[in-house]
Amino acid sequence: MSEALLPLLLAVPLAGSMLMLVLPGPLAERIAAQLGVVVAGATTVVAGWAAAAAEDVDVAWVPSLGLRFHLGIDGISAPLVLLTAGLTFLCLVYTLRVRPAAGRLRALVGLVLLLEVGMLGTFVALDLLLFFVFFEVVLLPMWFVIAQWGDDTVPGARVAAANKFILYTLLGSAVMLLGILLVRAETGTFDMVALAEADGAGMSRGVQILAFLALALGFAVKAPMWPLHSWLPDAHTSAPTIGSVLLAGVLLKMGTYGLVRIALPIVPEGAEVLAPFLGAFAVVGIIYGALACLAQRDLKRLIAFSSVGHMGFVLLGIATLTPVGVNGALFANVAHGLITGLLFFLVGAIKDRHHTADLEELGGGLYDRAPRLGGLLVFGAIASVGLPGLAGFWGEMLALLGAFDPDPALHRGYFLVLMGLAGLGVVLTTVYLVTLVRRVAQGQSVARWRDAVLLGDATPAELAVWSPIVVLVLVLGLWPALLLDVTDPVVRSVLGG
Amino acid sequence: MPLLMPLVVAALLFSIGIYGVLARRNAILVLMSVELMLNAVNLNLVAFDVWLRDELLSGQVFTLFVITIAAAEVGLGLAIVLLVFRNRATSQLDELVELREADALRGQPDVRAMR
Amino acid sequence: MTAVVLAILAPTVAAAVGFFSGRRWPRTAVPVAVAGAGVALAAAVVLCARAVRDAPLGDALRGPRVPTGTIELGIDLRLDGLAALVSVAVAAVAFAVQVYSPAYLRGDPRYSSYTALVSLFTAAMMLVVFADDLFVLLVGWEVMGVCSYFLIGHHWEQEGARAGAVKAFVVTRLGDVGFLFGIFALAFAAGTFNIDGARLAALDNGIPQSSATVATLLLLCGVVGKSAQFPLHTWLPDAMAGPTPVSALIHAATMVAAGIYLVARLYDVFLLAPATLAAMAVIAAVTMLGAALAALAQDDIKRVLAYSTVSQLAYMLAGLAVGSAAAATFHLLTHAAFKALLFLAAGAVIHAVGTNQMPDMGGLRRAMPVTFVTMTLGLAALAGLAPLAGFFSKEAVLGAAEESALHGSSAGPVPTWAGWLVLVVGLLTVSVTAAYAARLWLLTFFGRPRGSGVARAAPHEAPPAMRWPLVALAVPTVGLGALGLQRDRLPQWLGVDEQLHLGVVTSVISTALALAGAAAVVLMWRRDPAADPSDRLARLRPAFAGAFYVDELYDRVFVRPVSAAARAVRWTDDSVVDAGVVGSGHTATRLAGWLRLAQAGNVQTYLTGMLAGVVIVAVGVVTLT
Repeated sequence: MSEALLPLLLAVPLAGSMLMLVLPGPLAERIAAQLGVVVAGATTVVAGWAAAAAEDVDVAWVPSLGLRFHLGIDGISAPLVLLTAGLTFLCLVYTLRVRPAAGRLRALVGLVLLLEVGMLGTFVALDLLLFFVFFEVVLLPMWFVIAQWGDDTVPGARVAAANKFILYTLLGSAVMLLGILLVRAETGTFDMVALAEADGAGMSRGVQILAFLALALGFAVKAPMWPLHSWLPDAHTSAPTIGSVLLAGVLLKMGTYGLVRIALPIVPEGAEVLAPFLGAFAVVGIIYGALACLAQRDLKRLIAFSSVGHMGFVLLGIATLTPVGVNGALFANVAHGLITGLLFFLVGAIKDRHHTADLEELGGGLYDRAPRLGGLLVFGAIASVGLPGLAGFWGEMLALLGAFDPDPALHRGYFLVLMGLAGLGVVLTTVYLVTLVRRVAQGQSVARWRDAVLLGDATPAELAVWSPIVVLVLVLGLWPALLLDVTDPVVRSVLGG
Repeated sequence: MPLLMPLVVAALLFSIGIYGVLARRNAILVLMSVELMLNAVNLNLVAFDVWLRDELLSGQVFTLFVITIAAAEVGLGLAIVLLVFRNRATSQLDELVELREADALRGQPDVRAMR
Repeated sequence: MTAVVLAILAPTVAAAVGFFSGRRWPRTAVPVAVAGAGVALAAAVVLCARAVRDAPLGDALRGPRVPTGTIELGIDLRLDGLAALVSVAVAAVAFAVQVYSPAYLRGDPRYSSYTALVSLFTAAMMLVVFADDLFVLLVGWEVMGVCSYFLIGHHWEQEGARAGAVKAFVVTRLGDVGFLFGIFALAFAAGTFNIDGARLAALDNGIPQSSATVATLLLLCGVVGKSAQFPLHTWLPDAMAGPTPVSALIHAATMVAAGIYLVARLYDVFLLAPATLAAMAVIAAVTMLGAALAALAQDDIKRVLAYSTVSQLAYMLAGLAVGSAAAATFHLLTHAAFKALLFLAAGAVIHAVGTNQMPDMGGLRRAMPVTFVTMTLGLAALAGLAPLAGFFSKEAVLGAAEESALHGSSAGPVPTWAGWLVLVVGLLTVSVTAAYAARLWLLTFFGRPRGSGVARAAPHEAPPAMRWPLVALAVPTVGLGALGLQRDRLPQWLGVDEQLHLGVVTSVISTALALAGAAAVVLMWRRDPAADPSDRLARLRPAFAGAFYVDELYDRVFVRPVSAAARAVRWTDDSVVDAGVVGSGHTATRLAGWLRLAQAGNVQTYLTGMLAGVVIVAVGVVTLT
């Protein structure tokens, strides 16, 4: 049974997606949301089981090319698999009550389930080309979600944003494919496990550098790393709520996961040479993201730039090439997925109620009009600041600790400077988030909203979706060992070996 | 006679044919030039056949094929030109440009992302 | 150790209950909060009794380990004399505040969240006090900061509250970044994140001086931020926009003292770094005198007390700088008592009169006798008049300074000039302190009532719920001085290897200076009871009142450039980075446009191209093979 778990993990959402296609129109439209919840729930259960007990699956796929259908789950991928399954489940529960304005629920649910297949597949694939396939599978459903169910206030904006997202990410993936093929050409295998164990044997230094550059470029576009980030703000501004949650919560993690799983173990010398650059771009992203947030007018765009900043910490952690740094990166990945997912849910709820996400038009006083919503927004903001005691802190702290004492092959003084600048970024992050709270939650409501009768506080259904995230943020913040106990042994063996 | 003479003549005929195909505007003249080119090729084939003293006379046999095909092709080509003339009242090749792309820089889709 | 855990958990539970059920059942808010604070106080008293009886006390609770990839963390708690004594101060003030607040904030729509936050704050401070792992301490430290942010912004309808909250949080966070780096440095130097482990490593000569200096200087950043010392002091006066009980608890007695507490905890490490001690002495001296002068020129009664807090914290920092953690802790304890008393009494005055502005007060001693007496005691303790507690603790600090100035401190590494600096500036500040304390006393309670409109309407004594905490706090204000009578008693309880020095000469000089300062103000006031004695400062007054324009400097140097940078980044993102991306799309389309030119539609053009290609290929074949 335990060998079947991972294929089952991918099969269940795929079957659900196909079901959406096959069922007759009117019936499907009525039960789409419920069916989606059932399928996503089943996936979550399988994910939990798989994280605990799954065994690797290694079957020949295209023998002439040396491709194998190799799946596996370990301490690095398990938290991300659980995060993916959980967030997708919560998104589909959200659609039970909060119907999208564009309707066509059956298509939306089908696409989200297909997206889930791609996301889960990326995290469990252990063959380079299989990984690439799943990496690309997420792009088309996401394109549709943004282009068809996105924000249509400015005509054509959602299609343009979706186009930008898909073309930019595809460009990165094309470069990444070249890297994968280069690795294959030099070593003769696509298998990630074997390549990680080989630790760069069979590839000369120059080849490793080139391969790392190609692979990292593809992952960097996804992460997103400054200056390859400009697809993200537009995508988030136009995407619907659940699209944003999945984009920020999971898709961004695929890039950094790729760096940890593929780039670092397979081409370590390339990593050593290019890590300082990665670190520098990461820190620029942190500060740039924070400063850009201070000047934004659109709420979703602001949270998007904050994502750039947070992923900067993840990238910095990876750039240190130490177990601490990578532990921090993986923790920050999960924490960011939860916190920014929550923030996008909340901002989506605010946007749905006010039909605008513009800070000038929203004005202040959210505490007054919708206390629970305002309170949760503040909680999300404080978690995003990285307050110790909430999940966001540990990842960022461990990344900084990694920069304090990086890998011996790296220049320590350089990384200390990066650490200092990242610390400055922490302060700037605090500034824009408390400024956000001040502008949106506190103060007086503007006349336009004071008289509006339809602006309700958070409904029980919405609270039911958001509470698990809040609880997880608190639990991970107060008990980081929950995650660190899982990732630390694997990270040590991956980096040490 | 030396090989060079028919070859030179063939080359000259071929060049005249090329000029006609590329530079004349009347469709019938173009077809005539194509005929010229084909006949130049025929001359070439026969000349080489004689010089090589081929047992199978493959050059001359090939020439017969070319003559046949040229005749068929010219028949078809003239039929097309006739129909075009009936439809368009012109047989100037310059004016038969329906498959042309629109002006290069006019009418581009706007790819600027919206904010 | 169960008492320790109880002291931390009881307020946490109270906070959780308050957050979840406070809105639906508002009447449970007060009992739950008071119960939480009460349990914590009981636990703290038990621990303190144990500390006194079993001195020196040292008991630890080692929790689960947290792997990091390098040095591991642990959820560790520690109980010793220092922790026990400070925990009593914290719990007592928290309890007093929880009893006082319902009367002060009667009719407040958000009272349940207020009490829940105060409970959460209490829990966080307890965590800081009992933490034995640097990160456990950091969690408590930062949660306190966020509670402070929320509580200052309690009246978020007012712009002053919003601005004050943001400023407090951002400035302390700036210090906390340095603090985090200091934790890294210390842990790597000592090989562990455990506080007691670091202390033992320091005593064992396991930490080289350079590492200790770097670590302690970085930790000092956090201390300076949290304890509102120069140059990160600007947030405390603006934090007075929060409700007065909050000011009493957080910004007088506890959170701001957390920085001092930290240094006292890690004192063995600090003693390895003379450079840091010297820096502390300089910072303390500058802050001490600067804040006292600023207090002299304020009109808002709470701002006077805020600057006074900054100045008194500088005294504690000075005590640490000159080698006496015991003196600093002594002053911490007495200051907690009398400053909380002063704030709560000021709250009673504000509640009665309806305004914070001292020019609108006057003649309240007849209307509010209990408040008058308790506040007088508090002000006298602040000024350092014998036999009140403030006298003894201040003398302990000045005595330690004298000791290090004259004999080189017994602890060794403190430079002599630092001792002299602290001594001289400390004595000067005593005089200014007495002056502003006297001014506050006179303006508030004496003379004829000056208020107009609302402020004049019949001031009344505070309700009992507000009076009892005042009386309760007056007791330690008077009695805590007894700790200073015996040289060894307090150090023994704290478990430190020191003695309190109370020099006769210094005491006489400081008392004389205090009386002189107070007398000067009284004389100026007598000449014209209706005028403000500080008006005599004339041209200096605006500079003092604006705290020497440090705020304006920060605005120009930090706030404005950051805003400009933010706008520049947004412009860059739109016009440079994104333009590159969008530009690539445009370029691709344009290139395609040029390529389309080749599709002329003319057959002969195509044929020409083909011919050219054939010729090239033929030539190539002929020449290359």
